[in-house]
Amino acid sequence: MDTATHMLRTGRRGTLFEINMALQDLRNSVGRIGLAWSLAWHDVVSRYRGSILGPFWITLSMGFMVLGIGTVYAKLFEAPVEQFLPLVALGIVFFGVISGMINEGCDTFVAAAGMLSQTSLPMFTFIWRTVLRNLINLAHHLVIVVAVLVYYGYWRKMNPLGGVVGLGFLVINAAWISMLVAIAAARFRDIPQVVTSIMQFAVFVTPVFWPSDRLQGPRRVVLDFNPFFHMLEAVRAPMMGATIAPHTYSFLALMALVGWSLTFCVFAFTRRRIVHYL
Amino acid sequence: MKAALKAKTQTPAPSSSVAPVSISCRNLTLRFPVYGVDAKSLKKRLAAITVGGRLGSHAGVTEVTALSSLNLELRAGDRLGLVGHNGAGKTTLLRALSGAYEPDDGQVEVQGRIASLLNLSLGIDASATGYDNIRLRGRIAGLTARQIDERLDEIADFTGLGPFLAMPVKTYSAGMQARLAFAAATAVDADVLLMDEWIAVGDAEFQQLAHKRLLGLVERAGILVIASHDLDLLRLYCNKVMRLEGGVATAVTDIGQLDELMAA
Repeated sequence: MDTATHMLRTGRRGTLFEINMALQDLRNSVGRIGLAWSLAWHDVVSRYRGSILGPFWITLSMGFMVLGIGTVYAKLFEAPVEQFLPLVALGIVFFGVISGMINEGCDTFVAAAGMLSQTSLPMFTFIWRTVLRNLINLAHHLVIVVAVLVYYGYWRKMNPLGGVVGLGFLVINAAWISMLVAIAAARFRDIPQVVTSIMQFAVFVTPVFWPSDRLQGPRRVVLDFNPFFHMLEAVRAPMMGATIAPHTYSFLALMALVGWSLTFCVFAFTRRRIVHYL
Repeated sequence: MKAALKAKTQTPAPSSSVAPVSISCRNLTLRFPVYGVDAKSLKKRLAAITVGGRLGSHAGVTEVTALSSLNLELRAGDRLGLVGHNGAGKTTLLRALSGAYEPDDGQVEVQGRIASLLNLSLGIDASATGYDNIRLRGRIAGLTARQIDERLDEIADFTGLGPFLAMPVKTYSAGMQARLAFAAATAVDADVLLMDEWIAVGDAEFQQLAHKRLLGLVERAGILVIASHDLDLLRLYCNKVMRLEGGVATAVTDIGQLDELMAA
């Protein structure tokens, strides 16, 4: 920190200037990504302080859910357990990442009110904090994924590179939704309830607990235009050695582009107001 | 003590950067939008009261003008005291200088590392241990993990909390928490130091230590800006003073004119 520091804050100077300042916020947050990591790590540690299993408690409850739903629903759907259970396992774990980032996004700025109102920390730092915290949680839940994929022999035909690329697509998209929700929730306190409802609804219309090929014909529209389906599919299909629907990557890439452009513009225009919302 | 501080202010503070330490506010205007209140009733209620900023409405949103067209130029060696009633804009100005608030008009520019000691309990997590809190606070203040490790012993010594540092902060008494927060918050290198009232924490013995440490920090910093209602204190630590009234600032004057300034 022995480098020169310079802080300049000015009134509005037109659209281009606002976008430039938002970009600078982004750059600063990347330069201090270690801070976001420290905050995220501290969040996880402090949430599970004094518990023996820590975040593995969630892993454990997810594990039981996978076992329960995997075996019972396999019977209901008359699907073989060795195909159905891994599907549910990956579905629950990776949908958990999506819904975690989005639901906790509501709290991103609200929880950081104290820091935002007396320091010049970049706002993006707190977005990364939420994202990284969920990735730390995911790292714990990967135990389930590994166990299931090994037990049912999927590790032989899985495509790890595809899985990583898919996870990248998932995170990039979940991050902009998380940020959009963070800004909205700071301004309007009804947003967290709305978001929770939407995510609860989404878990049922997204093939988390059911195989996507059960839905055929015109009703597949539910899948084709469901962003969560594509985010999930991008990770799950390669991990299970299945071929990914051809338009999934293009859908996700387009969604990331449009979503981030929109979110970034919203941020650029609300940036100087966010601290007053809190 | 006073003489020592004043002597120090004559020499330019050591600066690691090419650009000298400075604060520059030009035409700085800050309006707070007030969300979710009945603007009319609030306006009616507060219009007659002299405490607080000026209320107005802009684009349908009720706004409080907390600072209007404030000009301020400070350079290394300046110790500025801010005086004014509650709600005159002192804390708002400090927060604007810390970079938390974006001006609605004009600009604020600060060269140098800023340390804002506005709220000591910032980032204190009651369920975490004392050591964890020191680390977290240091990270927020911009120290790297290694820098914190280097200073950890010194900070721990200063708190005088000994074995309690390994225990959760919620087991501390209020005084002990204040010691920890103070030690962690003041373990920074700053060129620009922002303070809302002179910080006095802990028992008599600790207050002496804290006082010494704070003085050291002020001496090392190029610029100090402190808001206070204690005029004697301002006379002791500041060489310049500015009065804020309803968001409007007087010109910066020498501390010797404090009485005239307050009488005006």
